[in-house]
Amino acid sequence: MSTQGWAERLPVLGRRATRRRRRRRGFDRPRFLRAFFWIFMFFTFAPLAIVALFSFNSTPSLQQFDGFSLQWYDEFLSSATLRESLMASVEIGLVTMVVGTVLGTTLAFALVRARSRVAQASNLVMLIPLVTPEIVAGASALVLFAQIGIELSLATIMIAEITFSISFVTVIVRARLSALNREVEEAALDLGATRMQTIRLIVLPALWPAILAAGLLIFALSFDDFVIAFFTTGESPTPLPVQIYSSIRFGVRPTINAIGTSMLLISFLILAVAVLLPRLLGRREEENVLIGRDAA
Amino acid sequence: MSENRFAHLMLLPAGLWLLLLFLAPLGIVFAVSLGATDPLYQAVYGWNPGNFVDVFDPLFAPVLLRSVGFALATVVLCLLIGYPIAYYIARFGGRWKTLLIAVVVLPFLVNYLVRTYAWVAILSDEGLVNGILDTLKLSETGVQFVNTPYAVIGGLVYGYLAFMILPLYAALDRMDPSLIEAGKDLYGSRWQTFWHVTWPAAFQGVAAGCVLVFLPAVGDFISAQLLGGPGTYMVGNLIQQQFLEAQNWPFGAALTAVMMAFLLIWMSIYLRSAARASREARA
Amino acid sequence: MSPNGAKQNGEAIRFEGVTKRFGDTTAVDDLNLTIRSGEFFSLLGPSGCGKTTTLRMVAGFEQPTEGSVHLAGEPVEDVPPYRRNVNTVFQSYALFEHLDVEGNVAFGLKRRKVDKDEIRSRVAEALELVQLTGREHSKPAQLSGGQMQRVALARALVNQPSVLLLDEPLGALDLKLRKQMQVELKEIQREVGITFLYVTHDQEEALAMSDRIAVMDQGVVQQSGPPEEIYETPQKTFVAGFIGVSNLLPATVEDGGIRLATGQLVHATVPTDCPAGTSVHCSVRPEKIILEDLEDGMVSLEGEIVERIYLGTTTQVILELGPNLRVISLEQNTDRSRADDRWEIGERIKVGWRPEHALVLR
Repeated sequence: MSTQGWAERLPVLGRRATRRRRRRRGFDRPRFLRAFFWIFMFFTFAPLAIVALFSFNSTPSLQQFDGFSLQWYDEFLSSATLRESLMASVEIGLVTMVVGTVLGTTLAFALVRARSRVAQASNLVMLIPLVTPEIVAGASALVLFAQIGIELSLATIMIAEITFSISFVTVIVRARLSALNREVEEAALDLGATRMQTIRLIVLPALWPAILAAGLLIFALSFDDFVIAFFTTGESPTPLPVQIYSSIRFGVRPTINAIGTSMLLISFLILAVAVLLPRLLGRREEENVLIGRDAA
Repeated sequence: MSENRFAHLMLLPAGLWLLLLFLAPLGIVFAVSLGATDPLYQAVYGWNPGNFVDVFDPLFAPVLLRSVGFALATVVLCLLIGYPIAYYIARFGGRWKTLLIAVVVLPFLVNYLVRTYAWVAILSDEGLVNGILDTLKLSETGVQFVNTPYAVIGGLVYGYLAFMILPLYAALDRMDPSLIEAGKDLYGSRWQTFWHVTWPAAFQGVAAGCVLVFLPAVGDFISAQLLGGPGTYMVGNLIQQQFLEAQNWPFGAALTAVMMAFLLIWMSIYLRSAARASREARA
Repeated sequence: MSPNGAKQNGEAIRFEGVTKRFGDTTAVDDLNLTIRSGEFFSLLGPSGCGKTTTLRMVAGFEQPTEGSVHLAGEPVEDVPPYRRNVNTVFQSYALFEHLDVEGNVAFGLKRRKVDKDEIRSRVAEALELVQLTGREHSKPAQLSGGQMQRVALARALVNQPSVLLLDEPLGALDLKLRKQMQVELKEIQREVGITFLYVTHDQEEALAMSDRIAVMDQGVVQQSGPPEEIYETPQKTFVAGFIGVSNLLPATVEDGGIRLATGQLVHATVPTDCPAGTSVHCSVRPEKIILEDLEDGMVSLEGEIVERIYLGTTTQVILELGPNLRVISLEQNTDRSRADDRWEIGERIKVGWRPEHALVLR
């Protein structure tokens, strides 16, 4: 086991480490790394577990668990404001997902197939939103709506979210698109399919896993987003993250545990769908292949 | 229609959208940053470069420095914590590698706000940690965890750690362990092996991770807002304040422009050195 | 199956002054060629010679920079690929992975809105032609390379195009399968009567299958004609060197013949455009080289055996006529069963050929 080589990393970072805290000296065995790994897992999952735990607390206390109760969830779901916020977030997520996916996919197609300086410039423009800090995104969206004179509402949130989702979709779809065999498309053209028919019958079926993954990603991103929504939201309803933020500022604690845990579950749910869906749909094809395959 | 023309047609929908709803607003922000406010707190265009001077005013300069400082601290901590984790999974993960990295990243998929709130819940004066300290009689009045720079940095680290771990893992995973063996044969000394074999391969991941953590961390305001106080304000808080509370849009826009410029400079430095590195690697 | 839209015994494809440039590179340079309908015509040449580009211009995936391409007498510059009566078999097969064999083969017919019953019968016919009956519902992922190739062929042929384009279709197959497919393709072409335009870099393949071959190099047709003509009477050094193995002996033209680098003056038919003093190559096929048993009137040289290679059906003997001047001789092993039966390495023996078997080439 050549872990010994890795101990050498220590002197480089150790200098910095000793300036702050003294940890991790002289490890050259996986045993130490393994321990570090599990401690790390504990500290990353613990906060979420604690929030989840206390969301079922029968008292508002954050310090001791007095008994099991669903009262905070009840408060969450019976509050009209909170319910509206949840619905608003879902709406935002869905609209962003649909529009962002369409825009991002067409852009991906253009960037892969077009050859010109305009296309190269567009590529650069597409990349900038990915590295733009959320606060710049939010501020610029706000400024835009104000100067044009559009009143802030769910729609303005959607517009802003879509703007910053397009690039994610483009990057994901482009990767898959550029991997496709061009000759297959040429074959379709050769056999009498027009360009539109080729896209519909040949390209999109090959592309849909990437499009689906991208769509789910931007749903999750826009559902969870706080900063952009915060800048572009109207009076009411506000999306859930904005609602949570206001609540935290006002110190209304226990219900937030319930909201937080719910959002946690929704995030995991979306992830599960994203991972399992292509596998489920691909499994059918796989089965056919396995059953039908014979030595030929 | 030729393929090229068709492809350019596809450029229009998203292209127009981004042009009008992304680039144009940035331009407007810049224009507003040169403007001023009228008595009704409406932004009025004009030529007030003084706004930019105000940005570096002794009143606000500490905020800028603090943002950079916090962000750097976050990067360092993310590196210290993330590297062993990424290394452990890449090197010793075996066939569980993908599962492990997915599980490690899982908590970071949760809403950033909720994650930060979790730490607030734990570290606040009525929170869990203080409760435990109280029960164990370790402290009389409770320890002030929140409203300190450490809490803010901690929140930032917890927020952006995944952005460090993933690129590091990608770079380390791609590295061929037999290279280390070959290096040990070739160079003899363990230090040399690290310096000549391990470090260059890992470096790209380190650089990418540092950039991916630094850029958003500088502009972050949620951690500072929830886990800190006025004494730990960052640029993000300031911008948010100017736009949403003080209604001083020109100044807010100036701050935004300065921050954007600052980040773009670092971005282009990174991109150029990354391009140079990949050219050298290919050669 | 009979082709539509083709003029019987007319021209299927005509290239008039066709040039194709990509930026600074000229891929095809002033191509003038006529391919007759019902022909099996091959474009032969090394990588980058322009053969695939030429094919793509017929299919419609590239447009000529200069000149024009004509199909069945009509110019086709403005006609997109999906409206040309031409179908292509691609090197990578390019099957539609998400459709089964039937879906693939029926694709072109469906685009043309052919009646469902007719589709079914024509697909069955096409699959029978390529010997894949019964595999209608298999997916490409379940097929072997050879089977995918046949599906690609059926998919193209079912549309009854006037021209079938084949872009190195057998390149990915192993040797035995390739030879088998070559015979099958030739038979199918004869049966169906469609013009085949075949692109390959394998000269043996071209010789075996074609009615006519055009040898290309660097965008220019070096020579075109029936296989025997190309092989036996190459007109350029390149063609002689590319087709089969050839001995190319450097020589200079002199009155009455050519002077080889060995110093000997031999009789040979010198082309009229080679005045005395021209540097030429004397090209002799290895199987035309005779060792030891020379007759009167033959060119006679002496050489030292440097290598002897037993190939089963033939034996290759490499002899050195002079410094850096080697010839390869090929003999059938009709009377021999061991490699070292006749010649010893180091032996000096007589080497020769009939004057009519030598070609003087530039």
